[in-house]
Amino acid sequence: MMKKQVKMGILGLLLVIPSFLLLFVTVVIPIGVSFKESLTNKEGGFDLSNYKFLFTDKLMRSNIVFSLEVTVISVVIVLIVSYALAAYMRFNNGKIVKWIKNMYMIPIFIPSVIATYGLIQLLGNHGWLSRWVLLLGGGDIPRLIFDMKGIIIAQLWFNIPFTTMLLGSALTGVPDAVIESAKDVGAGKMRLFTRFILPLTYKTLLVAITFVFMGVIGSFTAPFLLGPNAPQMLGVSMEQIFSVFQEKQQASALAFFTFLLCSVMGYFYIRSMVKEEGARS
Amino acid sequence: MLRKKSALTLLTVTTVTAALLAGCGSTNNGDNAANNGAAINGAANGATNAGGNAAPADAAGKPVEFNFYFTGSENVKSLWDAIIPMFEKDHADIKVNEVYIPSGTGAQPTYDRILAAKQAGKGSGGIDLYEDGLSNVTQGQKDDLWDTLDPAKIANLASVDPNTLKDVSNLALPYRSSAVVLAYNSDKVKSPPKTLDELFAWIKANPERFAYNDPSTGGAGSSFVTTTLYDKLPEDAIHSTDASIEKQWDAGFKTLKDLGKYVYGKGIYPKKNQGTLDLLISGEVDMIPAWSDMALEQIGNGQLPETTKISQITPGFNGGPTYLMVPKLSDKKDAVNEFLNFVLSPEAQAVVVTKMHGFPGIQLSNMPQDIQDSFKGVAEGFRTFNIGDLGNEINKRWQSDVAAQ
Repeated sequence: MMKKQVKMGILGLLLVIPSFLLLFVTVVIPIGVSFKESLTNKEGGFDLSNYKFLFTDKLMRSNIVFSLEVTVISVVIVLIVSYALAAYMRFNNGKIVKWIKNMYMIPIFIPSVIATYGLIQLLGNHGWLSRWVLLLGGGDIPRLIFDMKGIIIAQLWFNIPFTTMLLGSALTGVPDAVIESAKDVGAGKMRLFTRFILPLTYKTLLVAITFVFMGVIGSFTAPFLLGPNAPQMLGVSMEQIFSVFQEKQQASALAFFTFLLCSVMGYFYIRSMVKEEGARS
Repeated sequence: MLRKKSALTLLTVTTVTAALLAGCGSTNNGDNAANNGAAINGAANGATNAGGNAAPADAAGKPVEFNFYFTGSENVKSLWDAIIPMFEKDHADIKVNEVYIPSGTGAQPTYDRILAAKQAGKGSGGIDLYEDGLSNVTQGQKDDLWDTLDPAKIANLASVDPNTLKDVSNLALPYRSSAVVLAYNSDKVKSPPKTLDELFAWIKANPERFAYNDPSTGGAGSSFVTTTLYDKLPEDAIHSTDASIEKQWDAGFKTLKDLGKYVYGKGIYPKKNQGTLDLLISGEVDMIPAWSDMALEQIGNGQLPETTKISQITPGFNGGPTYLMVPKLSDKKDAVNEFLNFVLSPEAQAVVVTKMHGFPGIQLSNMPQDIQDSFKGVAEGFRTFNIGDLGNEINKRWQSDVAAQ
């Protein structure tokens, strides 16, 4: 009996080792290398000067603040829109729902560079949108791209489909019986939502926040092409410091800082997962 | 995403470096030379073994193969893809091995490879011909890497402007040039500015109708910025890499800062050379600095409206030739010289003009009349800036002073 357990244990380890090694080589070692690089100062010694630069340089500070602003706003809007869309598809039937179900995934299959150029064509100063508005008798529309708005619009395009899919599957998991019985005892729509639907999908919501947060804060293509020249998002700034200014150490420090930001989100995600596992067994 | 990407890049760089080091470090002499060549060639996508025989015209009648390393955008590759078959058709005894290294990935390593091979006593490292800009020509002059070009062996050298050759001490072949010019919509702009001051005045008189791209993302914007910074500085400052000049940039940066509210979108600097061309195409601006070859090509294929014209200011924007260099230690010089002679022939130069809209490397008087006409007023007047790493400092200061004002 005992022997079988040992065998199973070894088999389990063997199964885990390949993915662990892959993770180790492609993620853990590069992070270690970056971290070491980020601590290297101009004279070749080790200190925190690169990190000091991140938080004292006026430009870098505004980049960090800007990135966090874009990320938080994007996360909030994506979640609201996706949740509404997913809930609408879950609790309604009809032609419109069918249409949305068939179409909402399309953005996932469009490469981000192409989508970004598409947005430039659509929203640019002489783009389709402004021509339609002109055709319908409107005047000049305000500038939509080359600032924070442009990046956020692109992030909505990239993130809403996947998030809607995640939340949609979570909402499908809410049993009809629960909702009907709650209705039977007289729960209003608001109450139904806050007392039943939200608690039942809260875990997935957390997962969605993590995904959107990481996706937005690490994004490059859209902020590079649609964003302002300054302040920049962290990805754009990192690229500039690394390949244009060729300050490898500063770029590493910025990369490591971004990694830390994502780790914080990852920590909450993993904690909630572990809790769930614990509750099950 | 980017974190992963840069991590991957780092990893790749480490691997490649390790491979190269292994290739260079483990060699003694004799036999290993061939190994070394093979390892290097293997890393640079399957060129043939460079060790072995050196005779120009092989006794057995096998064609002589030489390796030609070049870097650049896609248009450079399609240029060579057109010229090399033309050459090989007439010269059955010579085969040119193209090794294309996309720009931004490995130009510097190619130079370092030639230098390392020389220092290790390994000939030219299997690189028989190399294309690059002025900075590597002068660098190689210091390191004594390039062979002096001999007019007796390359007959067509006579049609190249002797002054251009003298600038590089006959060490490199300026086979084509391009320059940054003003591209403008001739419907809106009747008489384009002739000097930088006139250009500034035009920008201020026509708010939001001018755009230049973020200088760290493309040479056209970079040239506009550099030209502005060096506007009132002594003539020879543009050939100096001395950092003490940085203080004198202040006036230029102030000008650029002031221009901020008059350029497109009151301070929007599109990314990449193409970014500003796109604005000109959509009619959002009327004038931009652009690379002559890009602008001419896009006028030619109809991307830019027919009303687009180009002109140069005096003193001119940045521009200059691209050079071909023969490593001194290459053992296939006769075949290479044959090829260089062909590159300078009017028929090959015509490909440079028609295919990539570059300026020919030979003097215009050697070209057909219609080509001479198309370059009137554009192919001259540009200046060659050679300021080395100061370019990075300019980009940094531009980012903090101008972009983030």
